[in-house]
Amino acid sequence: MLRLEGLEKSYSKGSVKAVDGIDLEIRPGEIFGFLGPNGAGKSTTIKMIVGLLKPDKGRIVIDGIDVWNEPLKAKQIISYVPDNPEIYDRLKGIEYLNFVGDMYGIPTELRRERIEKYCSIFNIKDALGGIIGGYSHGMKQKLVLASALLNDPKLFILDEPMVGLDPRSAFNLKEIMRDMCDRGSKVFFSTHVMEVAEKLCDRIAIINRGKIIALGTMEELRAQAEEKGSLENIFLELTEDE
Amino acid sequence: MNKLVSLIKTDLNITFGISSLKYSIKNKKKRWTYIIFAAAMLSLIPSYIMMVRGLDQLYAAFRMMGQQSYFLMMGIMMSQFMIFFLGLLYAMSKYYFSSDTEQLLPLPIRPALIVGSKFTSLVISEYLVSLPIILPFILIFGIREYQSILYWLDSLLVIVLLPLLPLSIATILIMVFMKYTNIKSKKDLVRTIGALLFIFLVVFIQMKVNQIVSQGLMESESFLFDLARDAHLLVNKLGKAYPPAMWAVNSMVGAASGKGIQGILFYVAVSVIGTVIAVVLSEGLYLDGLIGNNESASRGKAIAIDDFNSSTRLRKPWLTLARKELTMLFKTPIYLMNSVGGVILVPILLVMSLFTSGSEIESIRVLLRNNEALVALGGAGMITILGMLNSVGVTTFSREGKNMWVQRTLPINPKDQIFGRVLASLAIQGMGAVILLVSISFVIPLSLTSATFILVTGAFGSILMTMLGMTIDILRPMREWTNPQQAMKQNINVLIGMGVTALLLGPTGLIIYNIQDMVPDIVILSGMPLLFMVLSLMDYRILHYLVARQLAELEE
Repeated sequence: MLRLEGLEKSYSKGSVKAVDGIDLEIRPGEIFGFLGPNGAGKSTTIKMIVGLLKPDKGRIVIDGIDVWNEPLKAKQIISYVPDNPEIYDRLKGIEYLNFVGDMYGIPTELRRERIEKYCSIFNIKDALGGIIGGYSHGMKQKLVLASALLNDPKLFILDEPMVGLDPRSAFNLKEIMRDMCDRGSKVFFSTHVMEVAEKLCDRIAIINRGKIIALGTMEELRAQAEEKGSLENIFLELTEDE
Repeated sequence: MNKLVSLIKTDLNITFGISSLKYSIKNKKKRWTYIIFAAAMLSLIPSYIMMVRGLDQLYAAFRMMGQQSYFLMMGIMMSQFMIFFLGLLYAMSKYYFSSDTEQLLPLPIRPALIVGSKFTSLVISEYLVSLPIILPFILIFGIREYQSILYWLDSLLVIVLLPLLPLSIATILIMVFMKYTNIKSKKDLVRTIGALLFIFLVVFIQMKVNQIVSQGLMESESFLFDLARDAHLLVNKLGKAYPPAMWAVNSMVGAASGKGIQGILFYVAVSVIGTVIAVVLSEGLYLDGLIGNNESASRGKAIAIDDFNSSTRLRKPWLTLARKELTMLFKTPIYLMNSVGGVILVPILLVMSLFTSGSEIESIRVLLRNNEALVALGGAGMITILGMLNSVGVTTFSREGKNMWVQRTLPINPKDQIFGRVLASLAIQGMGAVILLVSISFVIPLSLTSATFILVTGAFGSILMTMLGMTIDILRPMREWTNPQQAMKQNINVLIGMGVTALLLGPTGLIIYNIQDMVPDIVILSGMPLLFMVLSLMDYRILHYLVARQLAELEE
C-alpha cells in the first residue's frame, strides 16, 4: 500500500504552494492515474514519493516503510521513470542497465533474464551495444523503462510515460503495468493522455493547484461531475478555472 | 556584419556566463560563489605585486647590460608563448568540445561567420591571459625609460594584436590534428589522448628551440664585446627565431625611426594575415570534420552475446560506481583533458623543465640528487596536490548534472557513493603516479624505498584530497549545466578545492621544511601518510553524513 498523508510542498520560500495537503491511498494491484493541468503539482507529488523532493509536511509510507525515514529500504522496492529520460549519455545501453542492476543488487541470472525480456519487448536489444548519446528520445525512454523494471518493483512510478513512445511500445507498457498489478504491485503514473487513463486506470485522481479535486473510479468520477461523458469532459469541467 | 556582431555577443555571453551572472545578481542568488571568487582573485594580488617588483629588478639588470629592449622582447615572447599554449587547449575546447556549433549550423549563417565569431571570442579570452603578463613589462619600460606618446600608442597596438598570431597558429595546428584523426571507433578517447600528446610535443619543441637559440647566442666568442657594442643585440639575435616579437619591440622602441615604422608594419601585417589564413582554413578544416563527427556519433549498435554474458553479472555497487565514473571521465573529452590530462601533463612538464633547462638550475639538480628524502617528499606532495587538481573528487557530484536523479532514486548507500568515487580518482591518480616516477627517474635515480614511499603516501594523500573535494562538491554541487565543460572548468568548487589544498598542504610543507633538520627522516616519512590517514578518517565521517543528507534534500 502507498499512503500519502497530508503532503505539502511550497516553492519560493513558501509563496507558491505546489502541493497543498494531499491524502491518498493506492492499494496493491491497483493502477492509479494522476491527472492535472500543467503546473498542478503532479510532478512535485511524484518527486516527493521517489525521494527527489523533501515534503514540507506530511508522510509517505510504502508497504509500512516511511520513504523519508528509511530511504534506502523504500528505494529498494520503488522504480521511477521521469518525464524526461536524462541518463548517462556516454555509457552504452547495456552498461546503464548493469549499473542500475548492481545498485539494486539483482543476481546475475535473474538480471540477464529480465534484460532479455524487457529489451525484447521494447525492441531495444539491438541497440544495447551503442552509447546512449546516440539514442533517440524514444529509445532512451525505453531504456529507462527497461532499467526501472529490472528490480520488479512493488511500486512503479511513472511521470508522463507515454510521451515519446511509439504505439507498440505504449501498448506493451500498458500490458506490463497490468501484469505487474495482477501480481500485487502498484502502479502510479501521471499523464495528459485521457484515453490511456480512462482505459487503463483502476482509479484516477485529478489534481489542480496542489489539491485533489476529484478521486475515484471512472464511474465515480462521472457521477461527481455535473455533465456525464468522457474523462476529457470531466477533466475540462473540473479544471475550467485554469 | 550584424550577424557577426550578434554571434560574437552570444558566444561571449555563453563563454563568460554574462546573462546568468546578471540573473544571479538581480535575484540575489549564488552570492557566496561570487564572494569566494572575488576573495580568490584578491588573494592573488600580493603575489602579483611581488612578481611586478621582480620584473622591475630584472629590468634594472638588463639596463646595466645596456639591453633594456630585450626586457620588452621577453614580455612579448612570454605572453605569446602563454597565448599559444593555452590557445591549443582553448581552441580544442571551443571548437570541438562544445555543442553550440551544432545549433548554429542549420541557421542561415555563412560558415566563415561562425568560425570568425568563435575566433574573436577566443581572442578576447586570451586578453585575460596576455594582459596581466605584458602590461607590467610595457609599463615598467615606458616609465623607466621616459618614453614618448608614440611608444604608448605603439604599445597599445602591439597589445591589441598580441593574441592574433599565436592563436592562429594554435587553431590551425589543432584543426589539422583533429581533422586527420577522425577515426571512427573510440574516436573521442584516441583523439583526446592524441591531442594531449600533441600539445605536449609542440610545447616541448618550442621549449627546446628556445633553449638551443639562447645557448647558441651565449656561446658566441665575441658575445660580451657584441653585447656592449649593440643595444639591440639580444633582441635581434632572438628575433631570428621569432621575428614578430622583434618587429613589435623595434616598433615600440624606435617608434619614429624607419626601423620602427617597418617593425609595426610587419607586425600588423603578419598578425592580420595569420588571422585571415586561420579563419579561411578553419572553414574547410573545422566544419568538414565537425559534420563527420556528428554523423558517426549517432548510431547505436547491437551487443554480441558473449559481451552480454561477460558484462552482465552482479558486482559490488561501489565497484560499479567507480567503473561508471571512469567510463564517463574517459569518454567525455573535456573531463579527460582536465583530469587525466592534468595528472599526466603536469608531472611531465615539471620534470621536463628541469631536464631541458640550462645550467642555471644545475644547482637544483645537484641538490635533488644528494637529497633523496626531499625528492620522495616532493613527489608524494605532488601526487597529493594532483589529487585535488585532477578535479575528479571536487566535481564528482556536479558532473552528475541532469543525471543526478538516477543517483538519488536508486538505493545507493552513502558508503558505496564515497568508496566508488574515491576509487575512480585513485585510478586516475595511479596513472599520474607512474608517470611522475618515470619522469623523476629520468633526472634522478630513485631507490625502491623512495618510489614505494611516493606511491603509498601519494595514495593516502590522494584519498584525502579526493574526499575533501567531494565534501566541497556535495555541499553545493553545480548541477545546472548544458555543456560538460561548465561542470569542470567553470565550477567554483574547483577553485575552493585549490584554496583548501593550499591551506592544508602549505602549512604542512612549511612545518616539514622547518623540522627536517631536527627530526630523523623516518619520522617525517612515516608521519605524512599517518597524518593523511587520520584526516581522511575524520573527513569520511563528515562526508558520509553530508552525502546521505544532501542526496536526500537537494531540490530538483
